[in-house]
Amino acid sequence: METISDSLKPCVSQPLSAKGAGLAEAGDGGTMLKASPAPSKPPRLVASRFAMLTRFHAGYFRISLALSGQALLWRTLSDRSTDPSALHPLVQSLPSAAFVLLWSLALLTLFALCVLYVARCVVRLPAVRAEFRHHVGMNYLFAPWISWLLLLQATPFLPPEAPSYHMLWWAFSLPILVLDVKVYGQWFTRGRKFLSMVANPASHMTVIANLMTARAAAKMGWHEGAVAMFAVGAAHYLVLFVTLYQRFLGSDSLPAMLRPVFFLFFAAPSMASLAWCSISMSFDTGCKMLFFLSMFLFASLVSRPTLFKRAMRRFSVAWWAYSFPLTLLALASAEYAQEVREPAASVLMLALAVLSVLVTLALMVFTALRPNDLLPHDDPFFAGTLPAR
Amino acid sequence: MELSNRDIQIQMGSQLSEQSSREDLPSLLIQVPSRTIAGFDCVGRDAVFPAALSERNNKDTVISIQAPATPPAAAPVRAYDDTQIPYSLSISMPASPSGLHFSQFRAASVRRNEARAAVAPSDTKQVEAQSPRLLQQTRFHSQPILHASQINDGTRRADSTRDKRFDPFKTFSGRLERQLSNLRGRPLDPMDLGSHHSKISEETDQVPGTDRYFDALEGPELDTLRATEVAVLPNDEQWPFLLRFPISAFGMVLGVSSQAILWKTLATAPPTAFLHVSLAVAHALWYISLALMGLVSCIYLLKIVFYFEAVRREFHHPIRANFFFAPWIACLFLVQGAPRELAQVHHGVWYMLMAPIFCLELKIYGQWMSGGQRRLSKVANPSNHLSIVGNFVGALLGAKMGISEGPIFFFAIGLAHYIVLFVTLYQRLPTNVTLPKELHPVFFLFVAAPSVASMAWAKINGEFDNGARIAYFIALFLYMSLAVRINFFRGFRFSLAWWAYTFPMTGASIATITYATEVTNVLTRTLSIGLSGIATVTVAGLLVTTMFHAFVLRDLFPNDVSIAITRRKPKFSKILAHFRSSSSDMKELVLSVSKSPNTDSDSSVTDTDPSVTKGKAEP
Repeated sequence: METISDSLKPCVSQPLSAKGAGLAEAGDGGTMLKASPAPSKPPRLVASRFAMLTRFHAGYFRISLALSGQALLWRTLSDRSTDPSALHPLVQSLPSAAFVLLWSLALLTLFALCVLYVARCVVRLPAVRAEFRHHVGMNYLFAPWISWLLLLQATPFLPPEAPSYHMLWWAFSLPILVLDVKVYGQWFTRGRKFLSMVANPASHMTVIANLMTARAAAKMGWHEGAVAMFAVGAAHYLVLFVTLYQRFLGSDSLPAMLRPVFFLFFAAPSMASLAWCSISMSFDTGCKMLFFLSMFLFASLVSRPTLFKRAMRRFSVAWWAYSFPLTLLALASAEYAQEVREPAASVLMLALAVLSVLVTLALMVFTALRPNDLLPHDDPFFAGTLPAR
Repeated sequence: MELSNRDIQIQMGSQLSEQSSREDLPSLLIQVPSRTIAGFDCVGRDAVFPAALSERNNKDTVISIQAPATPPAAAPVRAYDDTQIPYSLSISMPASPSGLHFSQFRAASVRRNEARAAVAPSDTKQVEAQSPRLLQQTRFHSQPILHASQINDGTRRADSTRDKRFDPFKTFSGRLERQLSNLRGRPLDPMDLGSHHSKISEETDQVPGTDRYFDALEGPELDTLRATEVAVLPNDEQWPFLLRFPISAFGMVLGVSSQAILWKTLATAPPTAFLHVSLAVAHALWYISLALMGLVSCIYLLKIVFYFEAVRREFHHPIRANFFFAPWIACLFLVQGAPRELAQVHHGVWYMLMAPIFCLELKIYGQWMSGGQRRLSKVANPSNHLSIVGNFVGALLGAKMGISEGPIFFFAIGLAHYIVLFVTLYQRLPTNVTLPKELHPVFFLFVAAPSVASMAWAKINGEFDNGARIAYFIALFLYMSLAVRINFFRGFRFSLAWWAYTFPMTGASIATITYATEVTNVLTRTLSIGLSGIATVTVAGLLVTTMFHAFVLRDLFPNDVSIAITRRKPKFSKILAHFRSSSSDMKELVLSVSKSPNTDSDSSVTDTDPSVTKGKAEP
């Protein structure tokens, strides 16, 4: 924090401090950051102004994923609330103003993070290259595009039929396609990057990107493109699922601090269920099966708290990985409850939605309280992969 | 401590040398008057030595036996009266091959305890009771035992008659039994509680890790001890029955109950209606399987109550863990084959039966997912199909009972994990050590999952559609590719788990009949009758073999060595001594000895044992 230069202060301080519910003012954010003590390295005050860019990496887009996912969830739930048989006065009481506020917050966060990352590309290109080569880091390069697609689907003012919607969809999907070809091609052709060697739970991000593109395309009305993207995503999900369950490498593929990323195990089938639901216009048996699979994996992970014990010792940006999968699961359960009009399903949907909202709120509070931990000096993620420190 | 022992021995030897010349014994052997210490030598019936020596007053030598560090033994403790002083041979070399490792183990533990006795003379009396069954073995008297402390004789004698060797496997390490005997009026010996943990039980305090199971055991069912391994319990005598009763006994219920369903289907399905099979056969089989289920469950419940440690070790065994699904699958089969309309059975029964399966799955699939010691690439073996098939059987039953969402849930989970397992087993990864090189009846489990899945999918969707057909054809293909290789299924020891491998054949037959109901022609009818015939004949043959083993050979329940492996690799010297005395041939000895230093380190991937006399796991 102490290395923030004056020129970057307004931009940087805003997203980091704006996580809290009531800290939206820039001045406060700047003061807060300046006032935060620099416990370990006073000599660094005169270090490079861009050292923070070094420590910033694509994993920070988890924050934007979480917020954009929340925006989509609120949009879906408020849409459902117009359906009389579905729910519940609880959801109907969500004012649309709160939703617009959340959406704007998500947009601002994403924008700021993108600017930061562009700056990093310009100034620290070797670091970006190293990140791309890292077996965990390369998957998070899909994250910004997923966030943009989420925001696009959640947008309150743009109908899916509008031409600008189509253009934006193309703008966000082309990078995903390019990255697909690169990453998936590497899985089975390139030497040290075989899937059995690089597979780790973060690889689910690639699958989720494809499926998100498919869902957006289906909502847009383009059926063929949707099915094509779904096919690519589903095929690679199958391969990845089998490989990850085999755990050829054991638990070494992911550092212990990144265990929250295990939640992506149930994010992928939920996303697949949502995508197929959009494609086939109804929540049929295939969607149900995918949803049940994600529920089982969720139960399986939640019943193993010791798996996450080490990661929970200190707050880090990896904690933000808890939020997005829960949001996806809540979305899938909303679709399920819509199809199966049973009280048990509605209760499940409510429970999951409340859980996801609470987790995101908690994460925002944590970030507001401990901004130092968000950009640690000893990020375990990139210990040793960054050229400049 | 040991030096003083030898001094005493030499002393005794010199004193008695003139006496030994009277005997017709070779000089190698010295007949020493041994002091019987209750709890160690309480072999009341081996007073075979000539009474001619009884008049010898051995009080002097008795006192010299006692080492200085021990508290004065005011009254020498005897298990029997003074008139008969037992004499035994002091032999300076190992005695019988079969009992060597055990007695050496005990001698080692005794030596350990001697050292401890020197430090703390006032506490533990270490030695265990020898059961009368060890009479046939030669006593190992070269190291006289130093008796550390005195406790009153009565309790020791009472507890000493109980066989404590199996205590580590009992619930709460035998404390339950001690409590029971306490309740019965015999005073409890407090020293026993402490002494137990200083002995063999330190080997069995915790369950061995998965690596140990792979290192110590071999064979397609991982139930044969490797030549370099030493079991914790004596392998040359029969263990208590409950300890020998494996979880795979539930396979019998699986086999018989699936036969009941087959005969019920044969009687009611349209393609086979021309056979005019009566429903009485199905009902009879159902009642038999019900009785069998009750019997096996009772016995296993008793095992859980009395030998919980053994059950825990079975649960951590890579192959036996899957058999813990067998009771619930058998219950599902029983409900399905029951002589009443399935639509009338209460839905709660289904939920109650699927709940344990769900919990077991959370545990086992979660272990696959989170990596570590029990990840799938290491432990995958055909028995894992048992953990998958439960999903499909539950889905089939639920769909037949009219439940709508639950069967889809379990079908989805089963399908996802079946794909993973199927790919893994087909890959035969190099890190996988459990897949046998030769074919074994366990491979028939491959056929189980797709055949039941096809029936479940057909019931869920209401018709035998393309998905069900795809699954059925996969099952048929696997069946055919195993059936044409029937020649390679030879050379295996019969085990009770083979019953579990018959239900896939029966399942395939039922699926064929279901398919024939949909697509009726001569070929499908022939196939359904043919497969049913094969299944029935197999089960009948297995029944005969089981009876043969049970009543003629009496080895239906052999010692379950797979739960008695040591937690750490046995030391090299023990392995060497084990081999010097064991009856294995020289080649195995040389090769094993040469390999032992390498395998002493705890490597995760075990090396192959060069002796290829039996079917072995792949490295």
